[in-house]
Amino acid sequence: MTKLIIKYLFLIFVGFIYTDPFESTYEPLPPENILIKNGNIYDGEGNEFLQTDLLIQDRQIIAIGKDLPVSTNFRTIDATNKWITPGIIDIHSHMGVYPAPGVSTSADGNEATSPVTADVWAEHSIWVQDPQYALALKGGVTAFHILPGSANLIGGRGVTVKNLQRNTINSMKFPNAPHSLKMACGENPKRVYGNRQQAPSTRMGNAAGYRKSWIEAEAYLSTLVEYEEKSDAAKELAYKPQRNLEMDTLAGVLRGEILVHNHCYRAEEMATMINIAKEFNYKITAFHHGVEAYKIADLLAENNICGALWADWWGFKHEAYDMVQANIAIVDQALGGKGCAIVHSDDAIGIQHLNQEASKALAAGLRAGFDITKARAMNWITSNPAKAAGIYDQTGSLKVGKNADVVIWSKNPFSVYALVEKVFIDGATAYDRSTNFQPASDFDVGIISPEKNRIEE
Amino acid sequence: MKNYLKIIFLIFIFIHNGLTNAESILIQNVTIFDGKTNNPYVGNVLIEDNKISRVSSSNMRGDKVIDATGKILTPGIIATDTDIGIVEIGALSVTRDDSSDLYQIGFSIYDAFNPNSVLIPWNRSNGITSAMTLPQNTDSPIGGLGSFFVLDSNIEVSGIKDNVMIGRVGGSGSKSRSETFAVIEDLLEFASSLNLKDMESYKDIADLIGDSPIAESMDLHPRDIKALYNLVNNDLPLIINANRASDLLKLIDLKLKYDLNLIIMGAQEAGLVADKIAKNNIPLIINPINNIPESFDELAANIELAAYLENQGITLMFNAPRSHNFHLIRQGAGVAVANGMSYAGALRALTSSPVEVFNLGDRGEIVAGKVADLIIWDADPLEPSSMPEKVFINGKDIDLTSRMTRLTDRYIKNKDKPSIYRN
Repeated sequence: MTKLIIKYLFLIFVGFIYTDPFESTYEPLPPENILIKNGNIYDGEGNEFLQTDLLIQDRQIIAIGKDLPVSTNFRTIDATNKWITPGIIDIHSHMGVYPAPGVSTSADGNEATSPVTADVWAEHSIWVQDPQYALALKGGVTAFHILPGSANLIGGRGVTVKNLQRNTINSMKFPNAPHSLKMACGENPKRVYGNRQQAPSTRMGNAAGYRKSWIEAEAYLSTLVEYEEKSDAAKELAYKPQRNLEMDTLAGVLRGEILVHNHCYRAEEMATMINIAKEFNYKITAFHHGVEAYKIADLLAENNICGALWADWWGFKHEAYDMVQANIAIVDQALGGKGCAIVHSDDAIGIQHLNQEASKALAAGLRAGFDITKARAMNWITSNPAKAAGIYDQTGSLKVGKNADVVIWSKNPFSVYALVEKVFIDGATAYDRSTNFQPASDFDVGIISPEKNRIEE
Repeated sequence: MKNYLKIIFLIFIFIHNGLTNAESILIQNVTIFDGKTNNPYVGNVLIEDNKISRVSSSNMRGDKVIDATGKILTPGIIATDTDIGIVEIGALSVTRDDSSDLYQIGFSIYDAFNPNSVLIPWNRSNGITSAMTLPQNTDSPIGGLGSFFVLDSNIEVSGIKDNVMIGRVGGSGSKSRSETFAVIEDLLEFASSLNLKDMESYKDIADLIGDSPIAESMDLHPRDIKALYNLVNNDLPLIINANRASDLLKLIDLKLKYDLNLIIMGAQEAGLVADKIAKNNIPLIINPINNIPESFDELAANIELAAYLENQGITLMFNAPRSHNFHLIRQGAGVAVANGMSYAGALRALTSSPVEVFNLGDRGEIVAGKVADLIIWDADPLEPSSMPEKVFINGKDIDLTSRMTRLTDRYIKNKDKPSIYRN
């Protein structure tokens, strides 16, 4: 019996190492008990609650309501005339893998040496001392999804992290967040490899490239499943299939464990990618950039695919020429409001002002004649990216029982004049403007004047 | 008989057009931010021909009256750092006219300007009525000529040709910045030695190049030499892109030595040497939303830079990343105000300051006699969610349709028809 237990524990241990050798070791800051009193709330679920209290205890939101009673061991923050939102989440960031300063020695976001690099993981490129995290925190960002770049058809795994700078990558990883896979359509892969006289050099070459990889992945997965389904006795007689890092990732997608995030600008290419996903029976979680998403908004909604989009970027490439500012609103309103719209940044400045980007997108939607509330537009930078990152059960909206990832704004966050006053991550203060409590990376220390941090100059 | 009718028709057209042009427009009861002074006021603005003819709080009459009660009126916004008209699609070199393989200092983009670029209606519908278009930096640390353009989409381009020279110093990855400064100094020394009487013929200038080690080694052409002459003798504004504090001080030295009309762009570390920049009256073009230490030259990047520099009395203008949305200088201005800059100061940076620094003529302010480049806003112009309701350029009420509004309509209206048969 004891032997059995030991064997069982050993198997769990082995399985544990096999499935996730880089597991999150994230530890939140010490928890605080906080009453945020009389604030105006956008809850990230499409609701607005005026002059309402929010209660935080043991790292969680424990109550939202008017005049909540509390005991004396809660710190009270008067939020009269202020606004409260969930922590902002960016579904498309390259912080850490393209850190600042943007120097070649740390530009580790694109393994542009082969069109399919499903074996690389963005998390292994992260520089934990990137000074950009702290700037994003002051913009209310509590979690973000780091992706490899878009040079490759299949660029590797992305990772979701807490916006709390730590000395190891594992200790920044968002606990229990699923892995993701970056794929890219269009001009980038065909340009990068076409210029080297290798495939792909055309969009049809791109499509062939994805399909060849999925065919390989199907074969790998069936070998794996065949082995897994054997009895223990039969397993001892059979050879265990050798692991293949590239195929591990692709098989993870086919098993539904790894979420596909697909860089794609043109409408017809997104439709092609949906066809390929159906051919190989996997799901696309979100199209990123999607400058032409408005042309196929209903198709995205029918397939439960989010559009992770900019408010107004365009023109830097031919496939980004047909920009309309109502893109996000049109995607949101597809099939009578069933669409999933996300405002993403892809930019270390943009990530600090996702509220303003949402504000521009909302204004364009209203001008186009849609009836969209600010409370709903708040979903574009909170719950919708949380869903696309697979962490919505933990964060992304202000609901009782969820992580207390909360931002207090000086004014309505849809105004350019709104400043982030306080940020809580897992119910602990991560940033406080009033006391100048803010993180500084090692990079920031003494780099201009020895006695100061960079940001204090 | 036919000719007779034609003549009558033409006379009719002539009179009709004449009357249309003469029709005055009165913008009534509007909140005026004049682009210059600190406090807004409610008043009436009369536009006659292409000018602002009267601004007053007392009653006036106009042929056409626009009631703008509760609305904000500002001068048209002027963007100082754009590639409007010379870059249509960034990654598509056949649509780019912003660089030269041959010329360096005297490379002008003026003749390449495309008044039908789709960037023009888009930026205009977001409040930009005129802009300076600058080339890419050339191989020379100073050189490349930008021009000023009125964004009226008139096929007959109007603006000011070659009204500014650009340049760049800083960490380059290939050579010491010390070499860069030495090259600039050698070029300026050479420029200072030039006399018009020695530059009468192409041959004369070719001889001058042959006698100058720096001009010869840089393979300069007569048009480069003419531009150098203008820089030193005709007070041509020189915009140098630089960020590191020590580089800014070195540029101040060069300004003083050669009496340059210097403007510094980027200037991420200007806060560290703000007193010297202020003392020497050097205007800056900064991106107030950019607080990323993107290079080792920009370590002091800070979101409060605009407010700090304004407090030091420095003249500021704003830029935005060079990708098509130059109107985002409004969002940058809003961020600057959110982080401590004065509202009037931020508006000056978008309107009257570029005119004063670059001599852009009678515009950038709402006072009688100025060109009527005006915007009536649907809300606060520094909120990026706001848009113009009306844009006037040279007194003309400009249609705000853009390719973007057309495409939007195509995909939300008449959805019963295939999109190719929609408007």
